[in-house]
Amino acid sequence: MKLLRRVVLYAGLTIAAISFIYPFLWMASSTLKPPAEVGSLALIPQNITLDNYRTMWARAPFGRALLNSAFVATTITLAVLVFGSMTAYAMARLNFRGRPALNAATIAVLLVPGQLTLIPLYTLIVQLGWIDSYAALIVPYLFNATAILMLRQFFLQIPQSLIDSARMDGMSEPRILFTIFWPLSKPVLSIVAIFTFMGAWNEVLWPLLVVRDQQLMTLPQLLTVFALGGGAGTVGVSLASAMVLVVPVVMAYMFLQRNFIESMAGTGIKG
Amino acid sequence: MPSVTFEHVRKRFGDSTVVEDFDLVVADGELLVLVGGSGSGKSTILRMVAGLEEVTSGTIRIDQRDVTALPPRERDVAMVFQDYGLYPHMTVRENLSLGLRLRKIPREEIDRRVTWAAGMLGLAPLLDRKPKQLSGGQRQRVAMGRAMVREPKVFLFDEPLSNLDAGLRAQMRIEIGGLQRRLKTTTIYVTHDQVEAMTLGDRIVVLADGRIQQIGRPIDLYRAPVNRFVAGFIGTPPMNFVEGGLREDNGEVFFTTQGINVMVSREKTAKANATEPLTLGIRPEDLRVESSRDPSVGAGPPSDVFTGRVVLVERLGGISHVHFDVEGGGDRMMASVSNDRLPNIGETITVRVPPERVHLFAADGRAISNSI
Repeated sequence: MKLLRRVVLYAGLTIAAISFIYPFLWMASSTLKPPAEVGSLALIPQNITLDNYRTMWARAPFGRALLNSAFVATTITLAVLVFGSMTAYAMARLNFRGRPALNAATIAVLLVPGQLTLIPLYTLIVQLGWIDSYAALIVPYLFNATAILMLRQFFLQIPQSLIDSARMDGMSEPRILFTIFWPLSKPVLSIVAIFTFMGAWNEVLWPLLVVRDQQLMTLPQLLTVFALGGGAGTVGVSLASAMVLVVPVVMAYMFLQRNFIESMAGTGIKG
Repeated sequence: MPSVTFEHVRKRFGDSTVVEDFDLVVADGELLVLVGGSGSGKSTILRMVAGLEEVTSGTIRIDQRDVTALPPRERDVAMVFQDYGLYPHMTVRENLSLGLRLRKIPREEIDRRVTWAAGMLGLAPLLDRKPKQLSGGQRQRVAMGRAMVREPKVFLFDEPLSNLDAGLRAQMRIEIGGLQRRLKTTTIYVTHDQVEAMTLGDRIVVLADGRIQQIGRPIDLYRAPVNRFVAGFIGTPPMNFVEGGLREDNGEVFFTTQGINVMVSREKTAKANATEPLTLGIRPEDLRVESSRDPSVGAGPPSDVFTGRVVLVERLGGISHVHFDVEGGGDRMMASVSNDRLPNIGETITVRVPPERVHLFAADGRAISNSI
């Protein structure tokens, strides 16, 4: 009876797992199939070919776009971690006039949907003359209210005596943040890092608005322009370009996975 | 030479005053204990010396130097915290040496001091461990070591033993006392535990509501508390208090209330207002309990005894605490009794009050006379 229940349970879990992983594996394998085979549901291509990737690479500057994306997403992630934790530290642990107002304002920012600020932000970027520049892609994302609030919540739990000790030892506030708080906040820092990186990496709408120069386009942007604009030609080439987009995120996830799962379990935030 | 001087120090948080006009001189090499309940302001005073809390008004001097506005690192003080404040991601050695490294002290000197402190505290085998791998007592020692290696002018202890279990607390109390006597470093020690205060302090400052109640040697506070708060706070088990008044009879002065009519010495009552209600205080260990079947009862003058009915006996081993209700009155009192003649619950006992052990307090809590 016990065995039967176990078998049923595992069968159910296996089916669920396959249903999640199958489309991804199909996509991965289809990029290696010649156009005639793409229609089949088989996971193993009969004739393996890299033609899809070659075609894609030849038709648009995907290498450049990959570098652009990496540069933009990495810069934004580092900035969000550094500036976000500085703001969060001040909001959680320093006493100053206007702190409650700052807390309230940060929460209020979360209530405003991004689409609402899109047009004013765009106008601002135009007036600053930042169209077709990295600044347009990066600067609007340097601060992130969600990241600040997550970090603040974590920082609130660090015992006051650690800050007191560090001050007695002669540390400045930035030093306390980066040499005491950061090592203790690895789980929350990695979750903020991965969410920020993924968000920045996958962003399409904003780059479409502010960048027209193909040399400055990020990967998802170029991909959208390429696939929707009919540049891809075949399904196989479209899928190959999607693969190029997905792989770095999967790698980043695997790299940070241990801390990521730890902090998911720790914070109760669902992915 | 004074080591730490407080001049009219005041601390407000918003609208509430936490420390009111605190004036004190701590002598060089002295171990001064600040004791009081929660909210008495004792920790705030300590944190103001450390520089972790701003002073609202007044001056704090360390070795004559005005440090009121200086940041913690420029004050030459070291602090031991209740929850130790050890950096969890650093080893014991790193925890001990960090403050010195930040002060750009040469490496050989750091090594010398760390080795010295580790040797003194028995931490040598633990230097490469992280705080998580240590027991509570060991963490406490690391926290003390971190203060010692700084070789500061003043040690500050903020309830350092509160997180330890009873046995370890007694042991660490002895270690801290011994260490302080050897190092002869001026120390301010904050605790809510009056046993720690009594056993450790050269002098004790009793605080309540941000005000100094009494300053003195432990034995002076025990023998001659200046008010009812100090009398109730210092000494375990706490002093018994009975409300009543004075009566004069045949040239003798008596304290009377329902069920009690005991003689007190005339000199104690010289300053008393005879018509004012008073509180009599008597320590449990000063009461003499005699079983009413005891033939000696009645032999002495009846003016210093009353009777009570036993409601509870707590056996502690060496001595026992006998709780009883005063017969003919409602007051519940307690006496410490040696174990050879323990009364039973429900039994009527005779309680003798030695007149010279009596404390009298006016209605406002002030001691009327505390010369013993």
